[in-house]
Amino acid sequence: MDLVAGRAHPFERRAIRHIDPVLVLAILALAIIGLFAIYSATHQSLSAVELDPGRFVKRQIAFLALGTIVVLTAASFDYRLLRVYAGLSYVSSLVLLVLVRTPLGTSVKGSQRWFELFGFQLAPSEIAKIALICMLAAFLSEVRSDITLPDMFRAAGLAAIPGVLVFLQPDLGTSIVFVAILFGVLVVAGTRPRYLGVLALTAILLIFAGFQVGLVKEYQLQRLQAFLDSDNAGAAALYNRDQAEIAIGSGGLFGRGYLNGPQTNLDFVPEQHTDFIFTVVGEEFGFVGAMALLGLFGVVVWRAFRIAMVSKDAFGTYLAAGIASMLALQIFVNVGMAIGIMPITGIPLPFVSYGGSSLLINCAAVGILLNVHMRRFS
Amino acid sequence: MNDIRAGTRLKILAALVVAMFAALTTRLWFLQVLAAEEYRQDATNNAVRLVTLPAPRGVIRDSSGEELVGNRTSLVLTINREDVADDREDVLYRLSQLLGVPALELGERMEDPDYYIFTPVPVAIDIPERVYYFVKEHPKAFPGVDVVELPVRTYPLGSAGAHVLGYLGEISEEKLASPDFASYRAGDQVGVTGVEAVFEHELIGTDGIEKYRVNSLGENLGPIGRREDWVMGNDVYLTLDADTQRLAEESLRLGIRHARTVFDPNSLRTFIANAGAVVVMNPDDGGIEAMASYPGFQPAAFSQRMTENELERRFGAANAYPLLNRAMQGQYPPGSTYKPWIALSGLKRDREGSRAPIVTTTNSYGCPPVWTVPFDEDNPDAIQYDFDNWTSANLGFMNMATALAKSCDTVFYPMGYEYWKIFFPTWGPDGESGTDDDVFREPLQKDLTAIGFGRETNIDLPFEHEGRVPTATWKREIHRAHPDAFPFGDWVPGDFVNMTIGQGDTLVTPLQMAAAYSGLMNDEGRICTPHVLDRVIDSETGETVRSYQPRCDRRLPFNLADVEYVREALTGTVRLPGGTATGAFAGFPFEQVWLAGKTGTAEVDPKQDFSWFAAMTESQGERHVIVVLVEQAGHGSTTAAPIARHIIEGLYGLEFSQFTDVEATD
Repeated sequence: MDLVAGRAHPFERRAIRHIDPVLVLAILALAIIGLFAIYSATHQSLSAVELDPGRFVKRQIAFLALGTIVVLTAASFDYRLLRVYAGLSYVSSLVLLVLVRTPLGTSVKGSQRWFELFGFQLAPSEIAKIALICMLAAFLSEVRSDITLPDMFRAAGLAAIPGVLVFLQPDLGTSIVFVAILFGVLVVAGTRPRYLGVLALTAILLIFAGFQVGLVKEYQLQRLQAFLDSDNAGAAALYNRDQAEIAIGSGGLFGRGYLNGPQTNLDFVPEQHTDFIFTVVGEEFGFVGAMALLGLFGVVVWRAFRIAMVSKDAFGTYLAAGIASMLALQIFVNVGMAIGIMPITGIPLPFVSYGGSSLLINCAAVGILLNVHMRRFS
Repeated sequence: MNDIRAGTRLKILAALVVAMFAALTTRLWFLQVLAAEEYRQDATNNAVRLVTLPAPRGVIRDSSGEELVGNRTSLVLTINREDVADDREDVLYRLSQLLGVPALELGERMEDPDYYIFTPVPVAIDIPERVYYFVKEHPKAFPGVDVVELPVRTYPLGSAGAHVLGYLGEISEEKLASPDFASYRAGDQVGVTGVEAVFEHELIGTDGIEKYRVNSLGENLGPIGRREDWVMGNDVYLTLDADTQRLAEESLRLGIRHARTVFDPNSLRTFIANAGAVVVMNPDDGGIEAMASYPGFQPAAFSQRMTENELERRFGAANAYPLLNRAMQGQYPPGSTYKPWIALSGLKRDREGSRAPIVTTTNSYGCPPVWTVPFDEDNPDAIQYDFDNWTSANLGFMNMATALAKSCDTVFYPMGYEYWKIFFPTWGPDGESGTDDDVFREPLQKDLTAIGFGRETNIDLPFEHEGRVPTATWKREIHRAHPDAFPFGDWVPGDFVNMTIGQGDTLVTPLQMAAAYSGLMNDEGRICTPHVLDRVIDSETGETVRSYQPRCDRRLPFNLADVEYVREALTGTVRLPGGTATGAFAGFPFEQVWLAGKTGTAEVDPKQDFSWFAAMTESQGERHVIVVLVEQAGHGSTTAAPIARHIIEGLYGLEFSQFTDVEATD
């Protein structure tokens, strides 16, 4: 009996002992803050139409339960298996990105981004993020010597394919995340700064060409314009940004108090429970609350970098670095747009915003981080 | 990680992330600490404009579902006084050019004190579409001016039934203060009278609300949150029948037109016939099938705002107060239409075994041209007044039934005198009569009140008048209160005598008369409360919200054999040679339609006589009671009976007879 028991899980048992409790606790705290913020943002509108005011919170709890399973699954097997399946998952994600452009995908507000599955929206661009991180990590960990210019362009190509597909949906925000992932992994893999300069120049030229042939949609231009030139932009384009800023600014040092934000209660901020969830925290908990939230995100990103540092192999390092870049950029862009220093894009705040797809993918990312951390000795 | 350089590069990347977080923190510090006050002010100033999306009222339909009052959409021009501010003169001038309304008048409408300063005031309704487009295309020239779509009432029947249906107006201050109207705001449209007023809370819908954010310039920056759509009010189905209503009004109009060609030998001119009323009622459940009042009005007129002067001009004395619903607000002496009730009450005294019989069905009574008050031993100084019959011919001896058919006043006068003799036997010690126990002294008034005279019928329409059954107490008190208008306070024999022929201080409404005759027609003497409501239907689901349950629990206070005797006697009015309406109903197909009725000629000094007719009809189970009254139109047979005949012919699909001069008989 002892023999069987001892033989069955020696490896797993030891691995679970090396889980990163700080990361787990930080994520948990973020998720709980998210639930409170979602309730604040939605309960009044829901009661107004005689729906259960806890409707969105309850659904988010269900997503979180699902997310926990995803974390455990992503942490359970040896992350090095990902290296084997990186190519397969990468190609699959590209197939999904192409399929979502067909009538199989669902169009919402002028962009075709989702599959409707059992009343649940699945965004292939989210899956593509993880798939790209794995693919880049796998590819660059194969490069034993210093990264050459062709190596770098190959890596850039890997990122460009899903990046452009997502950009065409159109989803400017998520395609920027692909750039961030590429940049993070390339830096950590030791690409020369000079090469990175060449890459940046090439990208700028291509984007300029993209504008010229009209690949960018009207409303994206307007939003970008509103951000760059706030005096001449249309009133509607300014509206989102102004209302978000007023909400956060009027929060002051200590905030208006939970459920007491007039901007939040009067529905002044659009998409508040998803993209603009940060405005709830800013208005109702003030500067102190906002800093606490940023602090928690800081902990998450710090742990991701630490895991990259302690990883047993280059593949693990690149995985963790890619994830760290992905999370950091999403946080920066999301909070930045709420406070008026970044253009408005549809990027949710990780673990806090309401919504299934991105939450599950971020959970998968955390699972992989924990996986790399747990297996740093074996 | 064994690569030392990778550690360094990770630190570089981490430093970038730290820089990003630092940027966020700096900006947050600026927003939430340095500029917090400013933003808090912005949040306070964040202007929300609530736009009410007015719900259409429920539709009013007749018993068969025909639309009586509906809705349409109207373009209404509003001005927001706060926004127009300094440009007032310019804007009003431009609008007056567009609308063809003097700027001064627009300004007057705009300064309506009933509206809050920040609420847009409607200044013109049903504006042309080109004005709408012009204003929308030149917003800078019209600050504070807006054009909104509002539901307004339509009246497919025109003026027909207007008195019953009622009209809308701006809510009054009294109503605003009442808890029943808690959800109403100044300027809201509300039912002012008729069905619109009584069923206000059924008809009113739930307004929708749309929240807009506006910037400091008042520019619309788009909706906030979810728009709440309006919910239409409930539909109200009436007992009214559109065809019968039209028929009643047309008959009344034709009859009045004819009356104006008839010469009145008393006043030596043609009849003025300035006003009239018709009630058509179902005697078995009290449902009002038609209720007409002449002159009428167009309820659509009230969708326009009117000044006090305009109201007075259109609906005042000069036009004979067309808003008055004479069928239930007009109080008239009933004249001889009262006689059946006097007869029934007299027959009841006989059954009660009073000291002397007032009237019986078996005796014969003389019908001389004049009846003189007999000498009274107890009061030898009393003047022995003469009371004339309506005709100077001596009609000879007759029984009660014939006296009703021929409407012989001199048969009824002595009945009134008997009431005096029996129930007011002596003068009081102070020379005043009827000071105590009036109730026991006045069994006639008690019966009349039990029938429903002198009190409201409780019809489901507002502002009903109650008429009057005079009593000794009433006479004494009204004399004390208004000695000039009522110079006599003592109850005298003449009060009873006059009451027997529906004169003196007696007043009834045509509706009371219809309700009473419905009781007479009903086999069990049941009196149903008159009503116009049939059912209330949810306009969204079509479900019945509530149905009217007829209330017929009151009964005529008489023996049913007597009721039947009088009812049969009234067939003589229209059929018996010498019946007062026999001439008016010459050639009527009595074999097809059973008909009984009573004429009335009410004297209203110094006016011409008022013409009454009350009819009860039945054919193949279809029963109606019809009461017609025309002011200053002569004898009952002259004007009211032919109008009733025209209505009856219409109701039963008979061939219409012409309005012709008929012999003037009571």
